[in-house]
Amino acid sequence: MKRKVVSILLTAAMAATLLAGCGGSGAATEEAAPAAAPAAEEAAPAAEEAPKAEEAPAEEAAPAEEAGAEAAEAATGGSDVSGKTFAIVVKSAGNPYFKKAIEGFTEVIEGNGGTVVVKEPSAATVDAQITEIQSLISQGVDSISVAANDENALQATLQEAMDAGIKVNCFDSKVNADSRMTFCNQAGITEVGQALIDAVLDLSGGEGQYAILSATSQATNQNSWIEAMKSIQESDSKYAGLELVEVAYGDDEPQKSTDQAQALLSKYPDLKVICAPTTVGIAAAAKVLQDQKSSVKLTGLGLPSEMAEYIGADDAHSCPYMFLWNPSDLAKLAAYSSIALVNGEITGAVGDKFTAGDMGEYTLTDGGDGGSEIILGPPFQFNPDNIADWKDVY
Amino acid sequence: MAGKSGRSINAEQKITAKKLLFTWEGALIVLFILVNIFNMNISQSYTFANVLREMPKYLAEMFMVLPMAYILVLGDIDISVGSIVCLTGTLTCYISNAGAPFPIVILGCLAAGLICGVINGSIATSFPELPSMITTLGTQIIFRGIAEISLGGGGSVAYNNTKQIMPLSTKLGKTVPVIILVVLVIAIIFTVVLQLTTFGRSLYAIGSNKTSAFYAGVDVQKCRFIAYVLMGLMASMCGLFLTAYTYGANTTTGQGFEMEVIAMCVFGGIASTGGKGTLIGGIIAGLIITLLRIALGQANVNSQMILVIVGALLIIAVLIPGIKGKIDEMKKLRAAA
Repeated sequence: MKRKVVSILLTAAMAATLLAGCGGSGAATEEAAPAAAPAAEEAAPAAEEAPKAEEAPAEEAAPAEEAGAEAAEAATGGSDVSGKTFAIVVKSAGNPYFKKAIEGFTEVIEGNGGTVVVKEPSAATVDAQITEIQSLISQGVDSISVAANDENALQATLQEAMDAGIKVNCFDSKVNADSRMTFCNQAGITEVGQALIDAVLDLSGGEGQYAILSATSQATNQNSWIEAMKSIQESDSKYAGLELVEVAYGDDEPQKSTDQAQALLSKYPDLKVICAPTTVGIAAAAKVLQDQKSSVKLTGLGLPSEMAEYIGADDAHSCPYMFLWNPSDLAKLAAYSSIALVNGEITGAVGDKFTAGDMGEYTLTDGGDGGSEIILGPPFQFNPDNIADWKDVY
Repeated sequence: MAGKSGRSINAEQKITAKKLLFTWEGALIVLFILVNIFNMNISQSYTFANVLREMPKYLAEMFMVLPMAYILVLGDIDISVGSIVCLTGTLTCYISNAGAPFPIVILGCLAAGLICGVINGSIATSFPELPSMITTLGTQIIFRGIAEISLGGGGSVAYNNTKQIMPLSTKLGKTVPVIILVVLVIAIIFTVVLQLTTFGRSLYAIGSNKTSAFYAGVDVQKCRFIAYVLMGLMASMCGLFLTAYTYGANTTTGQGFEMEVIAMCVFGGIASTGGKGTLIGGIIAGLIITLLRIALGQANVNSQMILVIVGALLIIAVLIPGIKGKIDEMKKLRAAA
């Protein structure tokens, strides 16, 4: 008798949870699931796109006409991809940088008639990304664009995807040459390293201690930028007065980044500059420095919308200037290159050329790791003069 | 058998079909079928071939469900297993990259897991008064710390000779991943040992009442030690197969696995207070969670929502016995009045 009650309760509760839980993904699924009819199968993917369609207008509102013109132009250019599905896999959910990337990606793909599947892993780990990509292979998407959490770990999974006929490119953080067809690079590694070390030199007044507040210790691009900074510093005597005291890791978590920034301040009383080449790290450090009215200056890579209140030339602001590229543009480039891959315009070989809508023509260059890459352009400087224009953009 | 054991360990149980259906395991089997029907409805891609292809990553965790069941039945807990996965995965890469032949790589990986298990077991048995949650929290940090130190600044290591480790991630007849067969064999052994041997019954006895088990002649500390060592060994199996699927290891390898594994066990009816539950329940629960996650992923339900659903399932599973207890209590009160 007891067991009977238990099992009935369990089954009922379970069924209820499943249905309720699924409803969270979109209104359409809520109706579809209990119906258990074939219609449910079609409703599920459709439900996912509903929230995205709502998000898109926010950004598109201003350049609506442009977007429309662009779509028309692209369609005549033979890049129509109706009926094709393009997936984007970001590093983790809840990151505003990737929210912008997803918007840009969606705008281009839907503008050309394609369907977008967005995968935001629950944790910034390769394990989570592997399960997401496996799921995409099952769905039989046409292309996957991934911002990798680790350079090598996705190899087996992405090769499986390519064997299944899926076009694979990566953006923001690359995977190794064997795992991809091409890579959309936000900026050449040396260009970013150069911009950051020059900023450190400028803000420190030519000499003194500086520290780096990075993301996770295995973040592919943070590590390569830091390496570039170090090698540029060694190669030129004008940086001889600078001393890198520590590379701290905030794991791209606001609280841990805040703790690390505080630790840097207390450990190194003579510290002059903190350089945070990650959007989460720089925002955390900016708040710490400004709240404590510290004389330490901050630079790095950050989102204008999050950093606007900290950017200023006077002592009341902690960050005189910082850099970034436009994540939305980067994802658009990824979207255009995916379309070119799916339509067979490019194969991912060095020297291939394609037109990325109104962004112009891009050429695939040697990535230096045996694979090809597409460079978006040099990093963009955000300073007190232009931050007001940008803070509402992203 | 008195004490908090709800499930009798008396061998003379009459098993009828009706009784079987109304056990926790019976309910889980019904649920398993329901979940599959639900999955087929929400995802077009929920086919046998696709599920087989997506399973391996989850199955690596299934290795750890088996010994974790032992430890939970004992009334202990081991939250260091995710770190053991990370450490053994890292070592596997380093051993292979140093040029060792494949059998040595496997043995090295398993030996590392065994040593981690021995360390956990030694601490648990030398200081039985300490809560295992705390001692394994300590080793969790230490093991991951060692892995991170050996990984250095880069934070990740690649398995250079990918051809060497491929046999572990291949598919028999291009459809059945090897890992399924390995998990199946080990799962059968673990189940038989827990449900049918004296050792298995000792675990239940200890979990129900440590003192009475001791006076009944059970070598309590020896049993606990063996359980921890098995845990370490199986965590290294997980590390080995995970390396085979990711061609490397990094500082986040195995992160959070301990909680996922414990969740599968508890959902399977294995109480964390000890003495209750069967491994069959744990395995079915593991499969239910896995299949549900696969199908929700295919239906592009966002990953946080999937976490919420799995979390809700777990809460319900833990709450039901409590609610049942409350209802019984109220009935008794009413009868008394």
